[in-house]
Amino acid sequence: MLLELKGISVAFGGLVAVSDVTFSMAEGEVLGLVGPNGAGKTTLFNAISGLARPSQGRARLLGRDLIAMPIHVRARAGIGRAFQVPQPLHELTVRENLMVAQRFGTGRMDRQRIDEILDLLKLGHKAESDAATSLALTEQKALEVAKALATDPKLLMLDEVLAGLETAGKRAFMLTLDEVRKRFGLALLIIEHDIETITRLCPRVVVLNFGRLIAEGSPEQVFNDPEVIRSYTGGEAA
Amino acid sequence: MIDLIAQSLFSGLLSGAYYALIALGLALVFGTMRVINLAHGELVLLGAYISYTAEERLGLDPLVSLPLALGVVIATNMVVYYLISLIRKDRELNSLILTFGIGIILTNAMLMLWSADIHSTTTPWYHDAVILFDTLFAMQAELVFAGAGIALVGAVWWWLEKTWYGRALRAIASNRDAAKLMGVNPQLTEVLSFAVAGLLATVSGLALYTAKVIQPSLGHNLTVKAFIITVLAGMGSVPGVLLGAVLLGVVESLTVTIASSALQELAGMVLFLLVLLLMPSGLFGRAKRRG
Amino acid sequence: MNQRLKIAAFVILAYGAVPLALGGNPYVIGLIVASLTIGGIAVAWALLGNLGGMVSFGHAAFFGVGAYVSALLTLRAGWPVFPAMIAAGIGAAVASVATMPALRLRGPYFALAILAYAEIFRILATELKSVTGGAAGLLSIPRLPVVLGVDFGTKLGGYFVILTIVVMAMVVYHLIRRSPHGLALKAMHESEDATRVVGVNSTLLKAWMLAVSAFITGMVGAFNAHYINFLDPDYAFAGLWTTLAIVSAIFGGYRTVTGPLVGAVVVYLVDQLLFKAILPQGHQIVLGVLLGAMILFSPGGLMALVQMLVRRKESSHAA
Repeated sequence: MLLELKGISVAFGGLVAVSDVTFSMAEGEVLGLVGPNGAGKTTLFNAISGLARPSQGRARLLGRDLIAMPIHVRARAGIGRAFQVPQPLHELTVRENLMVAQRFGTGRMDRQRIDEILDLLKLGHKAESDAATSLALTEQKALEVAKALATDPKLLMLDEVLAGLETAGKRAFMLTLDEVRKRFGLALLIIEHDIETITRLCPRVVVLNFGRLIAEGSPEQVFNDPEVIRSYTGGEAA
Repeated sequence: MIDLIAQSLFSGLLSGAYYALIALGLALVFGTMRVINLAHGELVLLGAYISYTAEERLGLDPLVSLPLALGVVIATNMVVYYLISLIRKDRELNSLILTFGIGIILTNAMLMLWSADIHSTTTPWYHDAVILFDTLFAMQAELVFAGAGIALVGAVWWWLEKTWYGRALRAIASNRDAAKLMGVNPQLTEVLSFAVAGLLATVSGLALYTAKVIQPSLGHNLTVKAFIITVLAGMGSVPGVLLGAVLLGVVESLTVTIASSALQELAGMVLFLLVLLLMPSGLFGRAKRRG
Repeated sequence: MNQRLKIAAFVILAYGAVPLALGGNPYVIGLIVASLTIGGIAVAWALLGNLGGMVSFGHAAFFGVGAYVSALLTLRAGWPVFPAMIAAGIGAAVASVATMPALRLRGPYFALAILAYAEIFRILATELKSVTGGAAGLLSIPRLPVVLGVDFGTKLGGYFVILTIVVMAMVVYHLIRRSPHGLALKAMHESEDATRVVGVNSTLLKAWMLAVSAFITGMVGAFNAHYINFLDPDYAFAGLWTTLAIVSAIFGGYRTVTGPLVGAVVVYLVDQLLFKAILPQGHQIVLGVLLGAMILFSPGGLMALVQMLVRRKESSHAA
C-alpha cells in the first residue's frame, strides 16, 4: 500500500474540519477527492503533506509512520503537492525553482530530468523567467506541478489545479497530467470540482462532506449516490 | 533580612512604575506602525537633558520646564516619524536599522552638547527622603513619578479603550485597510501615537533626571529595557506594560539586594530571553511573535 | 572574464600593492587592519542578514566568545595561535547553538534577542573571574607567530592574516549564495512553507547560516585578541563592534559579497581620519548619519548605487 489513512481527524480549536477519514491508495493509482466547498478536502491534503497536524488517527506512507515526519521529510519520502493557489519559490527563476525542489527533494541534481519536466509541462520557454512575477495563470499552475514532480514523488497531490482554466485549457492540462502519470509511474490524488474531469481521470473516487467520508467507489456509483447528490445541493446542516 | 527584601520590593515597584512610561511609548508606536523605534531611549534622555539645561541656566524646577522639554522631544519624534515614513520597502526591518542610526546620532549629539558627565537634579526637594510605614524609604521624586507613571498609564489605557481616537488607533493596529475604509486616517493616528510616545518619553526623562542620574550612554540601555518590558507584557495589553515594567523593576531590585549590583542587567536579560523563548505571547498579550 | 579580471586586480592590490606602498607606515597599516577586522564582522553579519534573513544586533557576542576562547587556549593551555583561532571560530559557532531557539522569532525580536545574549556573555565574562580574569581582563595574550620565516606578529604580518580571513569569508559567502542552498535561502524569505513542501529543512539551513556567521566572527575576534594582545569583557563584547559592522554592511550593501568590506574600509577610515579630527567627542555621529542616509536613499548600499550609476553611464553611451 502506498498511502494508508486510518481515522484521521483534524480540529482547529473547537472546529472539526476533518472527521474520522479512512481510505488507502495503491502505488500508481489515481484517486479523486471530491465534496462541496468547505468539506475539508484541502485540510485533509494539509494533514497528509504536513501543514496541519491531525488530532487523531494514523497515516502511513509505504509502511512508514507519516505523522511523525516533518514537512520536508515527507517531501523527500515521496509526497509531492501542487497547491490550489500557486506558491512559487520567490526571487527565483522557473528553472531555479525546479533545481531547489530536485536538490532538496531527492538529494541529487539531474539537469536532464529538469529539462524533461519543463518540456512536459510546456514551461521550456519560460525557464529563465522569474517564477513569481512573469507567468500567466496556466503557467503558474504548470509550475506547481513541475515543482512537485522535481522532487521525484511517489504520490502527487493536486489541489484544484484546473480551477480557473477554460475548457480547452482544462483538456490540455488533463492530457498533460495523464502523460505525467504514465511517464513517471506516479499515484495521483486529485481534488477537483469538475465532475467530467474526475470521471475521465479517476477510476475511483472518495467523497467528503462536512469533514466525513460519505461515499467511496467508481465515479458512476458515487455521483449517483443520493447522499452525495444531497451534499452538493444542500440538505442537513452539520 | 525581611526588611531588606521589603525595601527592595518597594523600590522595584516604584522604578517599575516609571519604567512603564518608557515602555508604553515604545509599545504605542509599535502597535500603530509595526515599527520599533530604537531611538526611543535617546528621546527619554533628551527630555532629561532639556530639563537639566533649564535648571542649570535658568534655575527652573524640572517640573516647571516640562512644557519646554515636551516641545523639544515631541518635535524630535515628529522628525523621526517623518524619516520612517520615507521608507517604502521592508518597513519592519529597515525602520529598525534607521532608528538604530538615529539613536546613534542623538546619543552623539547629546555627547557633544552636554559631554559625558553624569547629572542629576540639584533641586533638593526631589531627593528628600520619605518614610512610609516606619520602614520603607523612598525619595520624593520616586514617589511623584511612580504616581505620575500609574496615572499616565491609566490615562493612556482609558484613551485607547474609551475614546474615538484611541479606538481608531487600535483599529489601525489590527487591520489597516479595513480601518481606512471606515474613515480612519492612518497618518493622523500615526502622528498622534508618536506625539503621545514623545510625551511619555519626556515625563520618564524627568523621572530619570530627578530620581536617578543621566548620561548620554544610557540611551541605548533604556531602549533595550523598554523593549524587554514590551516583550514581557505581550502585544495589545496596556495594563500588561505596567505589570511587565513592575516585574522588571522588582527583579532588578531583588537581584541587587540578594546577589550583587553587577548582576542587575543580567537578571533583566535572562528574564527577557526566558519569556521570549518560552512564552511567545508575553505574559499578558494576545498576538503572534513567531515567524 | 570581467569578473576574473576584477578578482585578479583585487588580489594584486591587496596582497601586493598595499603592503608595498604602505608597509612602512605602521599607523596607516594599523588603521587598515582595524577596518579589515570590522570588515570581517560585516561580511559575517551580511551573510546572516542576507542569506539567513535575520538581522542581528548582537554580533559582538560571537566576536567576544571567539576572542576569549583563543586567548584562553593560548594563555592557559599552551595551544599554538593559528589552531587556537580556528578553535575559537568553532567555539563561537557552538555558542551560536545557544542562540538558535531565537531563530523562531520574527525579525526585530531575533535582532534584540541576540543583543541580550551578547550582554549575558559580557556579564558572564566579567563575573567568572577565575576563568576569564574578570573585569581586569587578560594581558600578554600571545602574538601571532612566526611561520615559515614570516613574522605575523608585526602590524604588516597581522594585515596579511586578517586580509586572508576576510577573503575566505567572502569566498564562503559567495559559494553559499550560488549553491542550491543559497537559492533555497533566497526563496525562504517570502515562501518558506513552499520550500519546505519541496524538501527544504528551512530551520536547519537558517541554523547553519547562524553557525557559519558566528564562526567567521569568532575567528575575527580571535585575530583581534592576538593582534592587540589584550582583552577585557567591555572591549570584547562592546556594542561598537556590532554597530560598526552593521553600518559597514548597510553602507556598502549587504546583499553583495564585496559590499560589507568596501563599506567597512570607507566608513572606518572616513570616521578615523576625517571626523575624529573635526569632532573629537561625538564623531561617531557620522556612523548614524551614514546608516540613516543609506537606508533611506539606497537600501542596497554603496555597491548598488555604484552599479546603478555604471548602468546609467553605459546606457547613455549606447544611446
